[in-house]
Amino acid sequence: MRRQVPLVLCFAFGIVMALTEFSPHQWSKWINEEVIDWALVIGPFALVIAIATLVQTHWTRIRRRTEHWQYSYLVFGGMIIMLLIGIPTFLNKIPFLSKIGLSFGQKSPIFVWLFNHVQVPMDATMFSLLAFFIASAAYRAFRARTLEATLLLGAALIVMIGNVPIGDFIWNAVMPFGENLPSDARQWILDNPNLSARRGIILGISLGVISQSIRIILGIERSYLGGVEGE
Amino acid sequence: MKGQKIFCPPPVVQGLVILVFVFGCCLNAFAQGVTPVENVKAIDTPNDDGKSITISWEKSPDDSAGSESVTGYKVLRQSPDGEFEEVAPIPAGTTLYVDEGTERGVAYSYIVQAITAAGLTVDSEATLPVKATGEWFHSGKIWIFLAVLLYSAVVVYCIYHARSGKELFIRRIPGLEAVDEAIGRATEMGRSIMYILGLGGVSNVATIASMNILSQVAQKTADYETPLRVPCNDPIVMNVVREMVKTAYLNEGRPDAYSEENIFFLTESQFAYAAGVDGMMVREEPAAVFLQGTFYAESLILAETGNSIGAIQIAGTDKEHQLPFFIAACDYTLIGEELFAASAYLSREPMLLGSLKGQDYGKVMIFGAIIIGVVLELCGISWMTVFFQQVR
Repeated sequence: MRRQVPLVLCFAFGIVMALTEFSPHQWSKWINEEVIDWALVIGPFALVIAIATLVQTHWTRIRRRTEHWQYSYLVFGGMIIMLLIGIPTFLNKIPFLSKIGLSFGQKSPIFVWLFNHVQVPMDATMFSLLAFFIASAAYRAFRARTLEATLLLGAALIVMIGNVPIGDFIWNAVMPFGENLPSDARQWILDNPNLSARRGIILGISLGVISQSIRIILGIERSYLGGVEGE
Repeated sequence: MKGQKIFCPPPVVQGLVILVFVFGCCLNAFAQGVTPVENVKAIDTPNDDGKSITISWEKSPDDSAGSESVTGYKVLRQSPDGEFEEVAPIPAGTTLYVDEGTERGVAYSYIVQAITAAGLTVDSEATLPVKATGEWFHSGKIWIFLAVLLYSAVVVYCIYHARSGKELFIRRIPGLEAVDEAIGRATEMGRSIMYILGLGGVSNVATIASMNILSQVAQKTADYETPLRVPCNDPIVMNVVREMVKTAYLNEGRPDAYSEENIFFLTESQFAYAAGVDGMMVREEPAAVFLQGTFYAESLILAETGNSIGAIQIAGTDKEHQLPFFIAACDYTLIGEELFAASAYLSREPMLLGSLKGQDYGKVMIFGAIIIGVVLELCGISWMTVFFQQVR
């Protein structure tokens, strides 16, 4: 029974939700939006458990004095500050706090400042690391050890030269033929071999998604239910 | 009546009034010379949820015909109380308008006015009343529906055909063959395995596929007593994964080896998650890293860090833009549908393998369509290309 009920629900909702994709009727839209709303309801409950595990993980790190355990205090500090400023909006009604310039909630200047001046720069820092990682990955990928790697290197060079205006500029100044050839060659590579390969992969992914969905709807694939206990 | 004065305007004002009257009459006469919009039709917009009516007409012959021509149109809608109200001004040259301000089940009729440069209007005949209703089936999606139905039938047939126990040939997928190697390596080195599910939510099919692979990996780590660390980005995914891994350990008879602490929530923020996972990789130096699921810009940040610590890395994603990064930085990459085939491939369950066979037949169908299309196009016959361009 513990397995049958979720499987029956999965089958029913799977079929109905798939059919709503082909029906523009208002009832179809209503069902689709309603079911998605139900799914959203689960989110906050799961988030409470998730935050509890986060606290548990960092508390254990502090207790066991694992490597860099001191940083776990930063996690707690950040969490407490953001919670104290972001959640108790009822404190905005206290005249004294308003008078000294303290406001609470997600629109609070302190909350916004912390977001804009702490989280956003840190996110940007992580994102900017990508440039260095691309360089190191490209260095490994473009080493011409095999025929495939050599082809990759050649294509990458053409695309890189074609992407920068100076590529066409140098070519036009040096070569008497083929005006703007680097950028034209780059476009050809992107529009033909690259796009064909991408579309092939997308077709494969689409077939895989449908196939996986059929397995889940029919109850053949059950790992997502928490494994197949006892089978 | 005696003593009552009758107002008599001065002769200049009288003259002006007469002039304006004469000028108005002239303009009206001119406006009557403009051909009105013809063949105005109002129909319930097909394939919508019943909230719009489409009005079409043939443009006036005087549309943009010269300096005295029709410069635009106005669509007027007759409200339920019988009054015509303006719906929208429309530029010249237009012959179609979709009125999205209608109520479902209420009958409306429409007039299209042609507007001249002088600001005069000429009405068309009113259309017959029409009601907006929602359709149960989107006729424009019929071919996609039939294709999905056909493909689903093939997959279901293959699944049930596989129940007969007949041996199925499934091509070798190196990335999945390497799963045992990665787990074995971590066990020999006495280090942990890190499984990263990406940024997808629980409703994402790639995340479900990743969780299915994780279930297989967990069964093996339970056997070998290798620590399995799963940092999660989504709270719901974390809860589901905990249940899955716990059941996998139970199935292997090793509930004692299961540690709930190893499956934990990090953050929902994309780059904070990448930073957290990178930090863990550098500190704990796992021997194997699995990157399976939906990844965005953080894919290379994670994969390169995994590469720098010398971990054996097996990646797979449904985001084709991230595949080159994984191919460059990981030891094995599951490309395209291989991610969705992984669970069946690893479990070797006949019915799941049957669905892989169905997947292959689907590819054969698409391949066949491409070949036929190319041949027809080379012969100068382009109906197949046109057909596929129209299917949305």
